[in-house]
Order: sequence, then structure tokens, then C-alpha cells
Amino acid sequence: MKESPLHHFELHPLVHLNLMGIDISLNKGIFIMWVGLALVFGMFMLIGIKGVRLVPTKLQSVTEMLLLFLRGLVDDFIGKEERKFFPFVASLFFFILSCNVIGLFPGSYTLTSQLVVTGTFAVFIFLMTLFIGFGRHGLRFFGILLPSGIPKILIPLMIPIEIISMLARPFSLAVRLFANMTAGHTILAVLFGMVLSLPWFLGVLPFGFTVLINGLELMVAFIQAYIFTTLTCFYIGDVIKMH
Amino acid sequence: MNKGSGLQQGLGLALRLGTELVAATMIGVLMGYAIDHFFNTRPWGILTGVLFGGAAGCLRVYRTAMAMPVDEDNNNGDQTPKGEGL
Repeated sequence: MKESPLHHFELHPLVHLNLMGIDISLNKGIFIMWVGLALVFGMFMLIGIKGVRLVPTKLQSVTEMLLLFLRGLVDDFIGKEERKFFPFVASLFFFILSCNVIGLFPGSYTLTSQLVVTGTFAVFIFLMTLFIGFGRHGLRFFGILLPSGIPKILIPLMIPIEIISMLARPFSLAVRLFANMTAGHTILAVLFGMVLSLPWFLGVLPFGFTVLINGLELMVAFIQAYIFTTLTCFYIGDVIKMH
Repeated sequence: MNKGSGLQQGLGLALRLGTELVAATMIGVLMGYAIDHFFNTRPWGILTGVLFGGAAGCLRVYRTAMAMPVDEDNNNGDQTPKGEGL
């Protein structure tokens, strides 16, 4: 049992596919992504088929609670008249949440522990905010690089700082989710490795910790999905309101 | 989600601060490195990049921290964080 604790993050193609010279082989991560999508889709379909009831079922009340919470985020950060962003924000939240939670089941894969996945989300959101900003404000959008009320002498110093600060947004968004998921699962893998390599009377100690850390990881899965959506709302709201 | 959302929001804000500083510094370093690479100005690009990146990181952490809800002597009862760093 000499296995690296990072071994379970590796992805190997399961189904080899080739489309005009481009390698589009399917691996475990892609299958897990489909499972996550199917789970979110199935949950909403189930509620929809059963019919929305006045006295909600358990599933319906949990979903309603989450959706109301997300609508609150959109109202707070983007504005009540901009509810058209709510479907995007809600889909993002549920997809990230399902990916995070599925990863906690033994034998599955944490899709959000791949920087490619979180990076794609973050870059997409960043480009979206730029499009919204330039669409709403035109060239006045460059004014976002100048914080209000700074002395004129500081302007040449502030512009590079604000540009870096702007570019750091998608970077920190992607790295935060990726790092949190990777770190949690690495800790779990290290602890399980200890359980397997120690004699049983010592092995129960790290085993107890894995149970605790699993609970912590469930919380982290929720919190990271929440942070990602909050920041998305904040960034969209920021380019619409321009300070 | 609504249960214990005070704790959750607090943790969310706390976990955010570390990456804000690192991310901005890394972007500054990367930009400085790119400038060095394309304009052959090694090592000045990366030096100024680190400085500007660090400054941007501090600014982001400052803005995040200033936007945090303060529990005591905050009598409007508004618990929603009013945003964070740029």
C-alpha cells in the first residue's frame, strides 16, 4: 500500500475518442460531471413533475429555501430589477454544490479539484462581467479602474494596482475553490494512508479523524459553493453599479 | 443553508482573505514576468510587479475586511455582507 495521497486526483481516459485529430477521450471526471448535472436536473424535474404544493414536501422545502436564499443574494448584490441573472447564479450554485458533494462519496471524483474546471468557470464569469460592463456603460466602463476620491498625484500609481486587482478576481475565484477541495481530499487521503499503514490499535485514531474531517468537508463543500456564487453576484453587481 | 448562516457567512469571509492577498501578488508577479520576457527588461519588470501586486493584494484584503459586518454596535441589524474587495 505505497500510494501517493495525490494519486486519486489523476485522471486517465476511460473511453478513447478522437474527433478530427482532437483528443476528446472521456475520463472519470467527465462522467462525474454528467452525474452531477443529472442529479441537479433530476431534482428539479422531480419537484416539477410532482407539482409544486402549497404544503411542501421535504425536497421541495429545502429547494425553496436554497432558491430564496440565492434570490436574496441576487437582490442584495446585483439589484432587484436585475433578476434575470438569477437563473445563471442558481445553476452555478447547484452545479458546484453537486460536484463538491459527489466528490465526498468514496470511489467518485471531485470535479472541482481540477484547476481547469474552476478556471473555466472563473474566466467565463470574468469575461461575462466585462461584456456586461462594456455593454451597459460603453467606454465609461474604464472608470472602474479609478476609485473615486483619490488625489490626482496617485492616479498613475493606482491604475496598475487596480488593473492587477481586477485581474486577480478570476484568479482568486478559481484558485480558492480548487485549493479548498484539493486540500480537503488530500488530508483525507493522508489520514486513510495512516490508517492502512499503522497497526490497528493506533490506526483507529486517524480513522476517527477521517470521520470528523468528512463532516468538515461537507461543510466546506457548501461554503465554497456559497462563496463562489456570492462573489459571482458581487462581481456582476459591481460592473453594473460601477461603485 | 439558512440555519447557522451567520457562522457560514463569517467563515466564508474569513476563508476569503488569504487567497485575496496571494492571488493579487501572483498576478503582479506574472505580469512583471511577462513584461520582462517580451521587453527584455529583466529583472525590473518582476520587481515592480511584486511591489504592485503586493499593494493590490493589501488593497483587496483591506476592502474585504472593511466590508465585513460588525456584530457589536451595529444596530441596523443588517447581517448581509455589503460586498468585498474589488
